[in-house]
Formats: sequence, structure tokens, C-alpha cells
Amino acid sequence: MEAFRPQVDFIARHRVAAVVVFLSLFPLLVPYQALAVNILIFGLYAMGFNILFGYTGMLSFGHAAFLGTGSYGAGIAIVHLGWPWYVAIATGVAAATAVGMVVGFLAIRARGIYFAMVTLALAQCVYYVFFQAETYTGGENGLRGVEVGVIDLFGWRLDFVDPTVKYYVVLAFVAFALWFVSRVLGSPFGAVIETVRENERRAQACGYDVARTKLVAFVISAALCGLAGTLRALHLSIVPIDSLHYLTSGLVVMMCLLGGMGTFFGPFVGAATLLLIEETFTNLTRHWQLITGVVFMACVLFFPRGIWGSILHWIRREGR
Amino acid sequence: MNNFRISPDRRRVLLGAAAAASSPFWFNIARAQSDPIKIGFPVPLTGPFSAEAQGQERAAQIAVREFNDAGGFKGRMAELLVRDDKLNAGEAATRTLELIEKDKVNFVVGSLSAAVQLSVNNVTKARKVIFNSISQSDTINEASDWSPYTFHEALNPHMTAGAVGRYLFKNFGKRVAFLTADYAYGHEMVRGFQTAGKAFGVETLADIRHPLGTSDFSAFLPRIQALKPDILILCNFGRDLVNSVKQAADFGIKSTTRIATPVLLFTARLAGGADAFDGVVGGASFYWGLESSVPSARAFNDKYRKAYGGEVPSDYGALGYGGVRTVLTAVRNAGTTEADKVIAALRALKYDYYKGPQYYRACDHQSVQSVLILRSKSKNMKDKNDVFDIVSIEQPGEGNLRSCAELGHKA
Repeated sequence: MEAFRPQVDFIARHRVAAVVVFLSLFPLLVPYQALAVNILIFGLYAMGFNILFGYTGMLSFGHAAFLGTGSYGAGIAIVHLGWPWYVAIATGVAAATAVGMVVGFLAIRARGIYFAMVTLALAQCVYYVFFQAETYTGGENGLRGVEVGVIDLFGWRLDFVDPTVKYYVVLAFVAFALWFVSRVLGSPFGAVIETVRENERRAQACGYDVARTKLVAFVISAALCGLAGTLRALHLSIVPIDSLHYLTSGLVVMMCLLGGMGTFFGPFVGAATLLLIEETFTNLTRHWQLITGVVFMACVLFFPRGIWGSILHWIRREGR
Repeated sequence: MNNFRISPDRRRVLLGAAAAASSPFWFNIARAQSDPIKIGFPVPLTGPFSAEAQGQERAAQIAVREFNDAGGFKGRMAELLVRDDKLNAGEAATRTLELIEKDKVNFVVGSLSAAVQLSVNNVTKARKVIFNSISQSDTINEASDWSPYTFHEALNPHMTAGAVGRYLFKNFGKRVAFLTADYAYGHEMVRGFQTAGKAFGVETLADIRHPLGTSDFSAFLPRIQALKPDILILCNFGRDLVNSVKQAADFGIKSTTRIATPVLLFTARLAGGADAFDGVVGGASFYWGLESSVPSARAFNDKYRKAYGGEVPSDYGALGYGGVRTVLTAVRNAGTTEADKVIAALRALKYDYYKGPQYYRACDHQSVQSVLILRSKSKNMKDKNDVFDIVSIEQPGEGNLRSCAELGHKA
């Protein structure tokens, strides 16, 4: 391993570029593009969640609220208001950020399990608001007709129905998000949130405003999950009510743990692993959930750092 | 030492072979002969409706086998690609994208929930792929969701509730109470009953909403009992229905009130038991007992029994059979798998495959068909599958559907 030290360091220094290069080639490894797009979107969702869970150390059980609000925000902008797709994306992200601010403001007062319960409860409130607003959201039936046929990019027309084009358009947004997250984590703020995770009292004693740090981390996390939601609405051309369901909140916790919490690329590994397992076994057996469960348990028992977290740990130890 | 040099002759042969192999002309002929006709079939194989979904799949396989045994279409065999949509609209959209983009299916048939079929329909219509839905929804007929590529083989709540309502109000009285699951299915059913009830001067005593997945109905039942309605209509589905029927029976509501439900499922009745369901009236698109009067039902039942060791098809199963068979027949009639021509053939189709005559209405491609009114029985049962009496059949008629104008269609 020592021989590859410079290469490993090089990749670690250019982590955004490395991930983007990998993701550009990713569709070649996956059975079909719609799944690849799903992995991108859930990877982004998990990455947003990871800022709060992995880096700030706060376990939220209500992140579906932000994914769903992003989806519905973008969907309603396109279906009911007839706005162009890029405005719709901005609307979705703005809506998720706003909801994130409210939920965050109320939830950060609690800690640990209480924080998880408060976020879960507030997310359920969001669920029922969207469920009842049937005129705008379609209620149980979901919101249909989020069609983006052609993307006009300064005279360059892209056919968004084409699966390959769709993948790379979504990747462009994910690449931006990756750069943004890398920038945030590399900034002094990134160091502060990790301090809060490691020792909240000490961070306070050092003069940091812990409550505000937590709130900002919460809002950034919500905004990224909202972006994932808007992309999902465009990808599926519908917004299912399930996207606000608490199971969707649970899913992201699982993805994050499986990939490796508190690692830059881990959430994508987790999302890819979970969705690929599901994809592979769902066509073979009706009991695919059993296999997902076994893999998850094995990871918790033998790789508590998650898949990517364990790989990183191994590389670092070898390198020493 | 020129072992590795390719001789001119060999080179020429190789070139020729390469040219032949790469020629699109050859390739197409080879394809047309052997390419199967692929039908994507997303159904909820896991989740609360898995038993229904298995019935759908089994019956659909019979339609495929039948088509292939008859020689297929110009040597092309049909193939059913079954996918688990997990009763989740988002998963269904992904699965449908997979079927269209990766598996290159020619048609999509399937689904078993209003939300899922709308999501599948949304994906197929944007990609100009024919979708024949085999589960209930009113919304799919409406102009905002519908497209020329959308067909609806199943009943919809308006037809079902209308037929059941007309039977109930004629026979049991005009004072009605509803106990409704609070989601689209329940609301659409109540609307259907009330529309049908107008002609009878029906009075709604109460419309009590309960959350989806309620297990304890004891809070609602005394209120209903105090109202003493002629009819109690349970607008809920699956486990909710089984629980509410059982508890209503325990409360003794049956002594004053007739209990009814829009969709009386074969599987729900088997799960709930004969005593609890005794006398409950409800609608269905199909019941195997239809075979005593309808020859096509007998033929279908016999094929099913033969294929699955004497089992009888369920109501949703029959829809799977009908939905796949109409599409395959239309391919044969059209002489192509091209969507536009198959649509024309489907629109022209008059068929009787399992329950009597049917056809797709021109404006919204809703299958115009009969609705069976069933009554659950607890005595004189010949075997374990003999659970219902067919008390009435509402014959097919466009008058029982919402009008094209009402749905927002121009034509």
C-alpha cells in the first residue's frame, strides 16, 4: 500500500473530481440508467443527511420531509404554475430550505433520541399537510405530470426523456452539490460542526455558538435533500406520497450507516449497495428484504464503520 | 514463418462476413423472426396485496401461453416480464422505466393500486408505450391523466359503486351510512354511491372517515348502530374491510342493517371467514361462479384449473388474463406491434374472454363491461371456493360510466 501513497493522497486531495469521474463512468457498471439515476439521487439525499448525522452527530428521523418538500415544490411549480424546469428546481430547494429552517429551529433544542423523535413528529406533520392538500398534491394518488421533455440550454437542446441524457443532467447537479459539500466541510465551519459532534461543551467553551451551528448544519442538510427531491420529481415525472413517508426517512439512515457515516463518498456507496442488492434480488426472490436485512446486520456487526468507512480505515492503517 | 499472416482469401471471407453481420438489413430480418413480443407486468408481489398480485401474474401467464401455443404472431412469441412494484408509486415508475429503457418492452399491463397505475401511466404515456391498467381508479379516465396510450381493463369506482348502489337502494332501503377509509379509493367510492343514489332519493345519515389501517372500529360502530340505517356501506379495502366486517358483525349491526361494500374480494372473504361475512353484499368484476351462465368464464376457469392444480382464478387474476389477452389479440389484428396501429385495433375490438361481452370506449379507453353483485354465504357451500351467490349482474352500458364530457374529453 505504501507504494500507492502519492496516488491515494492525490485522490484524497481532489475528492470531488475523483467522485465525479467515477460517477461519469458509473452507468457502465449498472444494469440500466433509471437505476443509476436513482442511485445518484439517493446518494445525494444520503450525502445531505450525512452532513447532519455523520458530521454534526445528530440523528434525524424526519429527512423524508425535505426530500418530499423538494419534490412537491418542483412538481407543483411545473404542473400547476407552468414554470420552467430550472425555476422549479430553485423553488423545490427553497421550499425544502424553508421547511428545514422551521423544523430545525424547533428540533435542535432536543438532543439524542428526543431530537430523533421531534424530527419524526414534525416530518409526519409535513406528510399530512401534503396528503390533505389534494388539489395541489394529488393526495394519495400522488402528483402526476411533472414532465420535462426538452431542456433548452442556450440553444443546445437536450432530450430529457433519453435516459443517458437524463443521467448526465442529474449528474451535473450532483457534481455541484459534491463541490459545495466538499467546500463546506473544508471550511472552518466544517471543523466547527465536527467539534460539536465530538464534544459539544468544549465547542461552547471555545466560544462557538453551538445552537446556531447546529441550525445552519440542519438547514444545509435540508437544502441538499431538497435538491435530491427536485431531481427525483424530474426523474420519475411523478411525486409519490411515499416520498414523505417515515420509511423514506429510515431508508436514508440505513444508506448512511451502510456506506459509512461521516465519510465524503460513503453515502453514495451506501445508496448504491442498497439499491443494487434490491435490484438484483427482487427479480430472483420475493424475499429480497431478507437479504437486505442480512447484509445490513453483517455490516453493523463486522464493519461498524460502514463499507466505505472500513475501506478508508484499512487504507490509512496500511499506509502507516 | 508466416503463420500469423492472414491469407488474402481468408481476409476476403472475413471482410464479407463482417459486412454481412453489420448490415442493418440482415439484422432486422433476424430480429423480426425471433424477437419476442415483450409485455411488462409490474404488480405488487411483496406487500399487503401480494396474494392478489400472484393471482394476476398466474392468469396473465395463461394468456401468454395460449398466444404462444397458437403459434404466436408471425413466429414471434409473447413473453411476460413480471416486476415487483412493491405497491409503491415511486418504485413502480422506476420499474416501468427499466422495462421500457432496458428490456425494451412493447407493452405494459398491470398494477394494483390507484397511485401505482397513475404513476406507471405517467411514464408510459410520455414514451408512447401502450399501458393497459388492471386495477380500479376513476382518475385514470380523466382527461388530465389519460392519453391515447392508456387503456383501462378494470372497473372503476364509479361503475362499481354505481352498480352496487343501484342494487342496494332498490332492495334494501334509502337510509345509508358510510364507514370510509380516508383516502382516494374511499372518497371515490362514496362519490359513486351518492351519484347513483340521487335517482333513488337516498339519504346519507353519516359519512364516517377512518384512517387507513385501522384495527379497532369500536369507536365508530355504536354511532352507526344508533342511527339504525337500512344499509351500512364499508368503503374500505383489504385488511380494513375484514376487520370492520368482523367487528360490525360482533356488534350485532346485521340485525337491523344490511352491510355492503363496493368491492367484495374473494381473498378478503376467505380471510374473514364465512360467519362474519354472511349476507354481506358487494360488487366484483369477476367471480368464478359465473361459469354456470357464461361460456367464456367456464373456458377461462378450466384453463386456470388445469394450469394450477384445480385452483380457481380470483377477480383481480381474471383482469390480468383479460388485460394481456386483449393486447396480444390486437397485435394479431393489427399485424404489427407498432403502438398506433395496435391502439386502433384495441379500439375496434369487441371481445368476450372471461365474463361476457366487453369493449373499450372510444373517448377514454375504459372497458365497458358487466358488474357482478355478489352476496356472501355461509350455508350450502359446495367446496371451499364456493363462497358467493351472484344475486345480480348489471349489464355493460356506457350509461353507467361518467360521460366523456364530464371527464374532460372533447370527443
